[in-house]
Amino acid sequence: MKPTHSNAHWWLGVADLLAHGVQHGVVKLQRIHLSVADESFRVLEAIPATRHSSRIVRVCHHEISRLSYTGLSLAGRAAAGLAAGLAARAAAGHVRKHDLNMNNS
Amino acid sequence: MVSVPSAGRVQQHISAIASGFLGDWLEHRGNALAVPMTVFADGEPLDLLNPRPAAPGSVLCLSIHGLMELESVWDFPGQPGEHYGTRLAERLGNASALKLRFNSGRPIYRNGQDLAALLERLVSNWPVPVTRLVLLGHSMGGLLIRSACHYGAENDDSWVLLNPDCVYIGSPHDGSWLAVGAHKAAGWLNRVPRDYLKVVGEVIDLRSEGIRNLSRGEVFEPGTAHQPLLAGARHYVISGLLARGEEHPVNALFGDALVHEASARGARQPGWQLTGTANFPGVDHIRLAHHSAVARQLEEWLV
Repeated sequence: MKPTHSNAHWWLGVADLLAHGVQHGVVKLQRIHLSVADESFRVLEAIPATRHSSRIVRVCHHEISRLSYTGLSLAGRAAAGLAAGLAARAAAGHVRKHDLNMNNS
Repeated sequence: MVSVPSAGRVQQHISAIASGFLGDWLEHRGNALAVPMTVFADGEPLDLLNPRPAAPGSVLCLSIHGLMELESVWDFPGQPGEHYGTRLAERLGNASALKLRFNSGRPIYRNGQDLAALLERLVSNWPVPVTRLVLLGHSMGGLLIRSACHYGAENDDSWVLLNPDCVYIGSPHDGSWLAVGAHKAAGWLNRVPRDYLKVVGEVIDLRSEGIRNLSRGEVFEPGTAHQPLLAGARHYVISGLLARGEEHPVNALFGDALVHEASARGARQPGWQLTGTANFPGVDHIRLAHHSAVARQLEEWLV
């Protein structure tokens, strides 16, 4: 039977899951945001009076949004990498401790 | 008095839910939220190489939970530690009530293979010779039993020769309407030419292999031909229905909330010969795991 995970290891697992959730969730949120915004921009582009300005606003809006979401996604990736690294170290230490206890018993 | 779940208990529930949704991914990443397969006796995990329960009986009664559940789903309301297994053990005498905990997001066939190996170790190392094996499976747990029986027979495991009693309680042998519905909704949304709807479809589609297997009632490795029920074993089916009236339209639509009666009976499975079937109108999917009427039926069949 596998050794049970320590409490710290469990919390690192939660952090890993949440960080991945942020990393991938942000990408999905960006797609929703931009595609919903596109619906409005399409309407504005259909009106001759707002066509030109809406195109400029659309480009600015999309670029600023992409930059913001990419930043958040990268932060999520970094956090996931950190959590995974710490979890791997914690697991290695836990298994070593478990093996030591088994050898001593 | 209101019972407050301990922090450890809450963590275990979070692990069970996360494992159900993403268990295969969690396992692949070595994430501590992935639940390891463990057998419990009297609430304590057993060492399979040297199981030392308080009073080992020669009849083993193993209860296997369903998707995203913990072994506590079996406990009768307000009676922690009291479940079908303990009732049966009491009536049978010389019996041990055990519970299994497992990562319900892994593919069912992989959990079935592991369960077969686990039963082999358990029966081989049990302190007294095992003469009878009773397997109770709730929902996905029932599918695991079928899978384990197949792989146990394939490996010539000794526990298979005990001709186990297999009880499938609300198990979606032909799939679950909710999982099938989610699969169809995700497919439809993914075909719509709107990115925001596609994302909703992708989120619905974000589920473990275990849930995908459950939606189709798949219990064997992909590419395996249809396998019959384990010969020699006794197979019992228990199903529930939301409404008390059997003909109520709610029952026709939702069954026990998650599984239709026909799916629980394996109506589309060819050549099934069941030793016993029982239907409980008014008992929903979760309550099937801890209902006094079901307990009486189990005692009638197995004692």
